[in-house]
Amino acid sequence: MILETKGLGKSFGRFAANADIDFSVAQGELRAVIGPNGAGKTTFFNMLSGTTEATSGTIFFKGNDVTKLSGTRRVHIGIAKAFQTANIYPEQTVRQNCRLAALAHKQGAFALEIVRRSERLADVDTLAERAIEQLELTNVADVRSGDLAHGDKKRLDIAIALATQPEILLLDEPVAGMSRDEARKTEALVRKLASSMTVLIIEHDMDLIMGISDSITVLESGRVLANGTPAEIRANQRVQDAYLGGHSEAEMGA
Amino acid sequence: MRVALLTLIGLALFPFFFHAIDGYAGLATQIVIVSIASIGFNFLLGYTGLLSYGHAMFYGSGGYVAALMLIRVMPQHPNLWLAVIGGTLAATALALLVGALAVRLYGIYFALLTLAFAQMIFFVVEQSQDWTNGDDGLQNFPTALLPVGPYTIDLGTPLPALALGPFGNLSDIKLWYVFAAVALLGVILGMRALTRSQFGEVLTAIRENEERSSLIGFNAAAYRLAAFAISGALTGLSGALRALYDGTVAVDAVGIDRSGSFVIYTIVGGVQTLFGPVIGTGLIMYLEAVLSAQISYWRLIEGVIFVAVIIFLPAGIVGTLTRKAAERARQRRALLAESLRARTGGPT
Repeated sequence: MILETKGLGKSFGRFAANADIDFSVAQGELRAVIGPNGAGKTTFFNMLSGTTEATSGTIFFKGNDVTKLSGTRRVHIGIAKAFQTANIYPEQTVRQNCRLAALAHKQGAFALEIVRRSERLADVDTLAERAIEQLELTNVADVRSGDLAHGDKKRLDIAIALATQPEILLLDEPVAGMSRDEARKTEALVRKLASSMTVLIIEHDMDLIMGISDSITVLESGRVLANGTPAEIRANQRVQDAYLGGHSEAEMGA
Repeated sequence: MRVALLTLIGLALFPFFFHAIDGYAGLATQIVIVSIASIGFNFLLGYTGLLSYGHAMFYGSGGYVAALMLIRVMPQHPNLWLAVIGGTLAATALALLVGALAVRLYGIYFALLTLAFAQMIFFVVEQSQDWTNGDDGLQNFPTALLPVGPYTIDLGTPLPALALGPFGNLSDIKLWYVFAAVALLGVILGMRALTRSQFGEVLTAIRENEERSSLIGFNAAAYRLAAFAISGALTGLSGALRALYDGTVAVDAVGIDRSGSFVIYTIVGGVQTLFGPVIGTGLIMYLEAVLSAQISYWRLIEGVIFVAVIIFLPAGIVGTLTRKAAERARQRRALLAESLRARTGGPT
């Protein structure tokens, strides 16, 4: 198991956003985390990426307890995240966005490099270019990223995460707000990424989830409701009940 | 290279403009020295967005420690290098200490915390009669000499006599100016390298998007602390040089007016520009020296200048000029491209 949680929970006062989450992902797996609105998916992701501190339970990455590690440290051990709302450097070009992430990977969390320029680090350019190519952003590489179309911004966010050279990539709703064509393009890219690393994905687009996931974890009210393959999840009565009111069986992709 | 050469020429000509106004022979040297502090302040404000309202604590501690080293540590062999290094290190240590607490705060909270620390230092300096001589400050400390190889130089020595017509005589200028100008040149070139280095690149990234920067693996607090320490070190260096040049250091060096002066110099000159802090320091200190002797309401005029710059030149003098120049260059390029297309009949 590359990533595992045991009894993971997050409470805000009396409200438990997540509780007792036992979760494990195998190396190379493409796992989806789904659930109705308010199920606690984003809180769960934030605890995995280290931006939210767990109030109970433990997170293991490759067998090591990383529960207390900051988000910054977790990037350096190989956990990277793309955000629900594209989180980029809008004033910088696409290339520079990816170069920064590659630079962080090369030099570590802090380096007093007050003379040397990053242009001197050949690897930084190589890693950045690779991320740009993998997300098919080559033709906009020199565009100021604040001027990109919505879909390109979301893909850039993934490219930034990728340029940190992660072993596991957390994608928070990678196709949210995209047109159908853009979403299909992004889906194909995610599928390709998943062939070389572990990918964890939160998404509302059920076609996408059912189409690309190896396995699915369903959260409801902050707890794990079910685990299984797409076919098992589709057939699970409790999952269907959880989605009733919000989603019909047809929407579940059955 | 070009920047270095132009700065060198500017610094070489600068003191001769002061000949016209009698009695300000030392002002050029003071401006050059204080500019180093403004550059330090600007580095913090421009590259981290942190506005310190307590930089006098670094300026003052640099000055007091340099003076105390001459008085208490080496009265027999007053070494200028050691005094300057001591003052600078003391300011750096103080910056690391204050910064460790302050760099996690933002905006007004950061400004207020730095102000509070500076006021505490002010109080300590004012009350430590035995060490600092209280309100009167330290005077008459041994003249620090500058050992360079086999020579021992007294920076109070005038340059060789050479009549320069309307610009007076070369001997109006003391070696102190040359020393301070070389220090400023070094600081300017160092700052230019620093802001283009990996360190400067990461600081810019953190300033633009701290959340993303943390989640690609940059330790934002550590970077801000390092920037704060560098800023404090430069301000301390300036304070130490000023105390040694003036031959006196008093509580106003750690006072709130002193902290405010770096804010004014930098914003008038232009935040985030290389030369803005130097131009701002020169302009305001020059006006202050000339006007405050004749006009009792100089502070009011200074305030009006500050307000006018913020309203009409929000990027400061140098910032506005640079932007205008960049704008003109862009228009010229656009026109050129247009005419080329028209001539070659290419796509428009």
